[in-house]
Amino acid sequence: MKNYRTSLSTYWNKPSRAGYLFLAPSILVLLFFTVIPLIGTFALSFFKINIFFTNTTFTGFDNFLRVFQDERAVRSLIHTLYFTLLETPAQIIVGLLFAVLLSKNTRFNRFCRSTFYIPVICSLTSIAIIFSMLLDPNIGAIPYVLSQLGMPIPQFFRDPTLAMPTVAFMTVWKNFGVTMTILLTSIQGISPSLYESAEMDGATKKEQFFNITLPQIVPSLGFCILTNLIGSMQVFDQVYVATGGGPQFKTETAVQYIYSRGFSAPYELGYASSLSSVLFVLVAVIAITANVYMTRKERQMK
Amino acid sequence: MTIILVIIAFPFIWLVISSFKYEKDIISFPPKILADKYTFENYIKVWSTIPLLDYIKNTVIFSGGVVLTSVFFDSLAGYAFARMNFKGKSVFFYFVLLTMMIPFQVFMIPLFIEINKLGLLDTYAGLIIPKMTSAFGIFMMRSFFVTLPKDLEEAARVDGLNEFKIFLKIMLPLSKPTMLSLAIFTLMNSWNDLLYPLILTSSSKMRTLPAGLALFTGQNISFYGPVMAGTVISMLPLLIIYMFAQKYFVQSTAMSGMKE
Repeated sequence: MKNYRTSLSTYWNKPSRAGYLFLAPSILVLLFFTVIPLIGTFALSFFKINIFFTNTTFTGFDNFLRVFQDERAVRSLIHTLYFTLLETPAQIIVGLLFAVLLSKNTRFNRFCRSTFYIPVICSLTSIAIIFSMLLDPNIGAIPYVLSQLGMPIPQFFRDPTLAMPTVAFMTVWKNFGVTMTILLTSIQGISPSLYESAEMDGATKKEQFFNITLPQIVPSLGFCILTNLIGSMQVFDQVYVATGGGPQFKTETAVQYIYSRGFSAPYELGYASSLSSVLFVLVAVIAITANVYMTRKERQMK
Repeated sequence: MTIILVIIAFPFIWLVISSFKYEKDIISFPPKILADKYTFENYIKVWSTIPLLDYIKNTVIFSGGVVLTSVFFDSLAGYAFARMNFKGKSVFFYFVLLTMMIPFQVFMIPLFIEINKLGLLDTYAGLIIPKMTSAFGIFMMRSFFVTLPKDLEEAARVDGLNEFKIFLKIMLPLSKPTMLSLAIFTLMNSWNDLLYPLILTSSSKMRTLPAGLALFTGQNISFYGPVMAGTVISMLPLLIIYMFAQKYFVQSTAMSGMKE
């Protein structure tokens, strides 16, 4: 015991060794609860395995073949992409719009910023609960207002074609504060002298936005787009609470399908894992493509 | 801008007002924003319809445990990456970077199996341990620690402090604002997380607020009043903290967009 102690204390004393002790907890946790499970996902993809670990058999690529023949799986991937294509551009545009509009540090602007941030701190679960009541065609306030304006009452979450756009709208409403905050910080970091000299040259506000603001915030904008794309591909909470994947599975996303395959009867963990693997590849492809495209854009801007 | 303020605030105001309404006023059509009479009934009823006290307790223990351990471990690792030189540092750094790119949804099934095999399913340890560190936190703390002057630790070393004490007594106190931002960020994420606690808990006694509410709404969509009251109660703690620590909330988001 004493030996162990002295050796530990020499570790603490030597800067070249203490680093390992500082890193150890984090590295171990990340190894055991992120990296090993990730490898596990790929490994499980090749097995038929249920939650009770009975009748586990090696099935090779069968699960993957099944994913592409399973209409529900393919559609869940398409729905995920559809949601991503609806949500990401909308959130970036709305976030950027408010970042620009609220960039001046007036009292009113600060008040708006902190109000717009409130949905961000609430859980998607509670937001989804609020919206499913507000948009309920029988009792909701929003359908009522629309009907008073002479419009037909939309069914929102219950309409197969309207459900996904509604989910996307709700997500933008909840999350645009994040994009706004990141872009705002970036805009406020732009040197005022750039605008001053532009004004001297008689540049309009619009020209200033496109020639100064936009090029200067390209790195942050790229970051927002990338994190948003990756985040949207993982959409689950809002769908789980507001629609449960319905109507007619029209809002069933990949994660929702993985969840219902793996964690409810018949608890097919192997098959669900191969779905996860496919989703991972899809996320990686999108992330890498977006990243390459944006790095190129960034270089062009400079 | 004022119209947009109303659009953002309306759902919350409506929720709070409606949570005090009688069931018949909630489901009346045409809907009215204000009712003639208000009641605490929903707030009383929600405690007996769902184990809300358990949910709150679980959420506090889960989020609190995650915040405390993760801020400490992330600071340790971030400090090592920022200020220490040792063999294999860049390998470890890329390792951490890699884990940041992996979505939880991709490895949740093996994680569930792992926690299950360890016998930690449905326990606080099982909920907290996998979240005891985060790549994002390590990067955030690292980007703070690189900004400190080198003289600081050299002076401390001359005074005979060992590396851990330099960290604990000199560096950590200096990093309080960054640690607070990270703590708020971590708190917000674990308080609001749905999928993670949904998978790693199975009994209703162990559920957190989002998981409990989501399952309750799914089963009993007809109890509008208690659901609303429960939703208000689940959001309240973070909203109160937000009122006092707005700066740290915004900072934690702004920092996530920082590029090095």
